Amino acid sequence: MTNPLISISNVTISTTDDDRTLVNSVSFDIAPGEAVGVVGESGSGKTLTALSLLGLLPRGVHVTSGSIIYNGNDLLLADREKLRTIRGNEIAMIYQDPMTALNPVMKLGVQLIEVIESHDGDSSSATERVMTAFAEVGIPDPKRAYESYPHEFSGGMRQRVMIAMALILSPQLLIADEPTTALDVTIQQQILALVVQERRKRNMSMLWITHDLGVVANLVDRVIVMYAGRVVEIGSVNDVFTNPQHPYTAGLLSSLPKASDINRTRLISIPGIPPKPWTVGNSCAFSPRCERADDKCRSSLPGLSQNSHTLAACFHLMGGGA
Amino acid sequence: MTLSITDVTKRYKIRVTGGQVNALNGVTIKLSVKETLGIVGESGCGKSTLARIIVGLEQPTTGTVTWDSQSIFDKAKNMISSKHSKIQLVFQDPYSSLNPRQKIGDSIAEVLKVHKLVAKQAISDRIGELLTEVGISQELAHRYPHQLSGGQRQRVSIARALASQPDLLVLDEPVSALDVSVRAEVMNLLIDLRERLGLTYIFISHDLSMIRHISDHIAVMYLGRIVETGPWEAVLENPRHPYTRALISAMPDHTVVGSTTYQAPLSGEVPDPAAMPTGCAFHQRCPIAVPSCSVNTQDLRTIEPRHQIACQEVK
Repeated sequence: MTNPLISISNVTISTTDDDRTLVNSVSFDIAPGEAVGVVGESGSGKTLTALSLLGLLPRGVHVTSGSIIYNGNDLLLADREKLRTIRGNEIAMIYQDPMTALNPVMKLGVQLIEVIESHDGDSSSATERVMTAFAEVGIPDPKRAYESYPHEFSGGMRQRVMIAMALILSPQLLIADEPTTALDVTIQQQILALVVQERRKRNMSMLWITHDLGVVANLVDRVIVMYAGRVVEIGSVNDVFTNPQHPYTAGLLSSLPKASDINRTRLISIPGIPPKPWTVGNSCAFSPRCERADDKCRSSLPGLSQNSHTLAACFHLMGGGA
Repeated sequence: MTLSITDVTKRYKIRVTGGQVNALNGVTIKLSVKETLGIVGESGCGKSTLARIIVGLEQPTTGTVTWDSQSIFDKAKNMISSKHSKIQLVFQDPYSSLNPRQKIGDSIAEVLKVHKLVAKQAISDRIGELLTEVGISQELAHRYPHQLSGGQRQRVSIARALASQPDLLVLDEPVSALDVSVRAEVMNLLIDLRERLGLTYIFISHDLSMIRHISDHIAVMYLGRIVETGPWEAVLENPRHPYTRALISAMPDHTVVGSTTYQAPLSGEVPDPAAMPTGCAFHQRCPIAVPSCSVNTQDLRTIEPRHQIACQEVK
């Protein structure tokens, strides 16, 4: 196996005030050029995990242990200056709401110029670079876009601007936090097509966070499933979607209506709701909702272990499949 | 009983520019009792405006809406008619439709009192009944909305809608704000209630997979018009309008894995409803448009029994 681009090991994130664990011992690698999807419901810790890679955790939460090794450096030990050069240059992020990244009172062109100037200082050809970046992400009239404010653009176009901004310094890794969730499906498809195209062209790695299983099914190479702050399953997108081994992954997949099911059979639901990560203790967090759970699941924590399909944290794997 | 929406248009004036937004342009729908009509479309297609008109929250600019042959809006009295308690609306986000400072039980009691539905001493029993009906514990009556999960809150808004014993429920994106693992439960509840109480549904969503799962009939909307309508199998298994086809192929499908050849079925974006294109509103994005599409308005025409499309180019 080639060396990973970034290696996350045992990252635990807690609240600063009352030391509640929100993300617990999360580990995974991303290879150069690889696209990894993180799937989970609200509160599963998927966004915090992504933000920790960039040192962008919100006030009140911090990484309590673990390491994030990028290019031989532990990002968790990096100082502000070091992190600042890595952000944008090496690792860039796009968000669900483009207005998180765009300044509402600044012309779009100036905002992208600012990105270039603050990172590599070479502003001689900056205007052309911005125009090219706008054209690359499919903005019809780059000149006009350069002189526009964010509010003059539709949601889909703002998303394109944000992608242009993230890609302008040619990062090695793009982190995407549900960037298409707020968009209409036909626009979502346009943005996904754009991201796939740019990723191929640049051989860029990607970490795509979403709650939408349908989106990652055709977007990434590997999938990480998170539940209550922990990784419960990791595998190739094909294995996770066709032979899920963790009962939670299997439950999620079977709760979705299938386009091929002409009889529209009753949906299989998962009873109950996910627990708060800090309340779980020494047990499988999914056990209260799991049909397969027994005393062992309620009194000890299953670790991630390799099975014939995926890496899953469960004492009672789903099995089956080829 | 039938819901008849006849040639409904809705225009909003824009004060600043003096222009107008055409939210609905001649929508006609007939729905029989105990049937479910799924309305699908992207933002700005007018689906939520239509929902608000059906329940009487807004008046159509022209056209009529009748339920059981009686108009929803009583023109003579300039108020919504007594029929409206038989039609209820369930919103997307139960967190914003429930009063955060009101206990769940009180919020249901309010409906019972306003419509004088049960005697005072019977109110708490009826609240219990309604909560049981939607599958949540009666104890929750003493809780506040923030103490409930998203799924429980949506069940409460359904219970609240059921309080007036409606015939017709208009469900505007009822599961879109819920976590994936909770959606299935609420969908199952809606299907059970429909059977148990003989309800008629208008199920509005941008999510074709949910529309497909619950609807008897489907109407696909684009910029204030219905562009295709018919029995669910006809519309989804044999879609004929180019917009319906694009919408279906744009739906992320978790059962198709690893095909990384993403192709956007449509270029461009939905035009501004304040500056409607001439002719067919879809022609600028349409893969099969011909020059006359920018001139000819497209009306629904029947292509097979009950299956209608608004497109001149599909034979």
